Amino acid sequence: MSFLEIEPFRIALYVVGALAFVGANAAYLVWVERKAAGRFQRRAGPTEVGPAGLLQPVADAIKLMSKQIIVPPGSDALLFRIAPVMVMAPALMCFATIPFSDSIVARNIDVGLLMIFAFGSINVMAVMLGGWASRNKYAIISAARVVSQNVAYEIPMLLTVITMLMVAGTLNLHEIVKQQEAGFWAWNIFRLGTNPLMPVTFVIFFTCMLAETNRAPFDMAEAESELVAGAYTEYSGMGFGVFFMGEYANIVIGCAVATVLFLGGWGSPVGFLPGVWWFLAKMYFLIFTVIWIRWTFPRTQFYGLLNLSWKILIPFSLATLVLTSIVMKIPRMF
Amino acid sequence: MSIAMAERAKLEALRARFGAAIRRADLPGNGRMFVTVDPAAIREICRHVFREMGARYVISIGADDRPFSGEFLVAHNFAFDGDGVLCGLLAHLPGDRPALDSISDVVPAANWAEREFRDLVGIEPMGHRYPKRLVLPDGWPEGVHPLRKDVSWDDVPKDFDEDLEFKFDEAPDGCVVVPFGPFHPTLDEPAHFRLYVEGEMVRGCEYRGFMAHRGIEKLAESVLSYNDIPMMAERICGICGCVHSVAYVQAVEDAAGVRVPERAEYIRTIMLEMERLHSHLLWVGLACHIVGFDTLFMQSFRIREPIMWMAERMTGNRKTYALCLVGGVRWDIAPETGAALRGVLDTLEKEWRGVVDAVTGDRNIQARTRGVGVAGPDLVKDVGLVGPVARASGVAIDCRRDHPYAAYGRVAFEVITERGGDVWSRIVVRMKEVFESIGIIRQCLDKMSPGPIQARVDDELPVGRMGLSSVEAPRGEAHHFLVTGEGNRPRRWRVRAPTYQNLQGVPAMIRDQQLADMTIALGSIDPCFSCTDRMETVDVRSGLRRTWTQEDLVRLLKKGGA
Repeated sequence: MSFLEIEPFRIALYVVGALAFVGANAAYLVWVERKAAGRFQRRAGPTEVGPAGLLQPVADAIKLMSKQIIVPPGSDALLFRIAPVMVMAPALMCFATIPFSDSIVARNIDVGLLMIFAFGSINVMAVMLGGWASRNKYAIISAARVVSQNVAYEIPMLLTVITMLMVAGTLNLHEIVKQQEAGFWAWNIFRLGTNPLMPVTFVIFFTCMLAETNRAPFDMAEAESELVAGAYTEYSGMGFGVFFMGEYANIVIGCAVATVLFLGGWGSPVGFLPGVWWFLAKMYFLIFTVIWIRWTFPRTQFYGLLNLSWKILIPFSLATLVLTSIVMKIPRMF
Repeated sequence: MSIAMAERAKLEALRARFGAAIRRADLPGNGRMFVTVDPAAIREICRHVFREMGARYVISIGADDRPFSGEFLVAHNFAFDGDGVLCGLLAHLPGDRPALDSISDVVPAANWAEREFRDLVGIEPMGHRYPKRLVLPDGWPEGVHPLRKDVSWDDVPKDFDEDLEFKFDEAPDGCVVVPFGPFHPTLDEPAHFRLYVEGEMVRGCEYRGFMAHRGIEKLAESVLSYNDIPMMAERICGICGCVHSVAYVQAVEDAAGVRVPERAEYIRTIMLEMERLHSHLLWVGLACHIVGFDTLFMQSFRIREPIMWMAERMTGNRKTYALCLVGGVRWDIAPETGAALRGVLDTLEKEWRGVVDAVTGDRNIQARTRGVGVAGPDLVKDVGLVGPVARASGVAIDCRRDHPYAAYGRVAFEVITERGGDVWSRIVVRMKEVFESIGIIRQCLDKMSPGPIQARVDDELPVGRMGLSSVEAPRGEAHHFLVTGEGNRPRRWRVRAPTYQNLQGVPAMIRDQQLADMTIALGSIDPCFSCTDRMETVDVRSGLRRTWTQEDLVRLLKKGGA
């Protein structure tokens, strides 16, 4: 019996692992984003701290940690302090069930997908609480925007997830990946036999994921030119830092889920390299796409954003849902 | 019809209509008209000129003329753009009772200007609908008017309460007040808008600005001399400084009849267009930043940088060129500098074409800016909007064409107009104007011939003459009014920056718009608050660090000025 099978060790290992993974990702995705943004804009990005600015995230972390956390007078001190925690903790929980490879998963839960979306939706409430507790007009407007934005985008996102459920027939992420192992033609995004609109479903899911994580071009919640820093306006030091890490953690989770649901998880299209590298490669490609989109498109208007959801994404995701059920059911009727 | 004939025709029309109320008229024959009228009839005459004769309102000036004539003076300046005439309607008011009818109900654009002379000169616009303080802070004592001649430039009233908070109007029912400024990420300079917001909709706003009033006009009238003022004038604005410096020297030259050498006029034109180039490039970048498109913001700044280097090579400075003196300019353009400038323009033209293609091809930017911050031709007329804001509404006014100055009469260019009146049209107008500016600079370089760049001004300038000068700044018409005076300095100098009029249109542009559109609607007039306020950013309270007190500043000013 290897020590990995002893339960407390397993838990400790995964807690440490998840924390380290989230921390490293949050820190270095900022670096990647700044470097990528620099390249898109024909600049150099960070260069000063460490070779190619690689130590910049460390410097930023030290700076944020050494700063005082100011709780503005008149704010709700308790909620104000809890809100960042409520962004970060559920994000960590989501990592528990993501299968990085056939053998690397903290908890292979049968309702893994459901759990991710359950914890994922706490994020919205946390941002809203943070904005509300700050007693700042910009923050409150931003909180109201976050809520209506997330309500609008949760619907098409869950509709696409239901479509995927019908195709997969299970909520277990491990199982979902197993079904796609045959090769890249078996990845859900290419399984046109179950639903000819599968690539569209993927685009809808990805768009909703951008909106759910409040990323540009859907970053209404912290539209700098209108709302200063939105819900985060009053946060200083690590209070702000944790929100920031939470945002990147949510992007990582969103891209990981997209990889599992649509891109065959750890499945390799050609065969060489262990599965976990393929998983990470797919996930980071999606993350890079998220960054790429941010620096390519201007911010949408708030009502434009809601229109996009209610007038385009929801009808289309409903259509794929109906279409999938027809495609799946009709052959069985005969 | 020649300009002189147009002037006479206007005067005849006024005489026929108002008879004895027209007391005196000066027509120097160079596109300027000074008509002294009966103060009792001023409102009716202004209404007639504005509404029936189709003039554009420019600015109102109040002046304390008591040491010289025992009277106060008010001038309402109008422009007949089609005929190339700038017209000042003057009213002399008794020294003991400075009051006249407000014209702001018939000429809404005069709202701010009347409040300003009420604050600074103490001339009461009777019947003004919103006689709230504009320039002076609420803590300033009643009855002290800084621009009066009996108030010294370095005098601070004893009972001035610097820390008194502003009194604001009541917000309408059902609206939340969202403060916008004085410090906000999209405001580069201090200004305070109190937005009345209902949900996400802006229902109205109150503006409190003039937070950086430097009293430049007072300094010019009491401390500086004619050739000091251009250096001060270009510090009015960080972007269109050269505009103010040229407008000032032209006002002096206009008043005193100084003739400027041709080469100097070409050099002024080139520098003005350089300024327009870097200002428009900066603005397109900022507009992209406001709508959340930072990539194009960075590109605009990269493309703009060579212009700044070129300006540095030509004058020694990226900004504040110290270019103008009365009667000419201080820096010549060497042949090799001209060649380098042509190279910079070629690169700019190519790269800018790329940006224009990117912006016009982007549906997102259009969706974000079409139908936002609309100003129709009526608003342009009523509020006196100028520059790209007016041209984007289809009103083809451009001082470079309508009131030619410097070398603009000798170059060909197109006045760009659009029909939409919204933010998108303003973006298009400014983007296209960049190409026109490039064309103007090239023509100037072609046509310039060697020669002197400074006229000899040997005699003292005549006293008591009036000069008007309108210069098309990147943001619109900058208008300077000047009365020459004793002691080698003007008696009265009034600067009207384009933003002064354009800002007055903002409340109408943002009414019933989304809060999210407020910043781009405000940004679309390319606001320049320091221009409007005519002041220097002198922040006082920096806590534990160096504190610049008023005394320190006054001492510094004394050292530099006297």
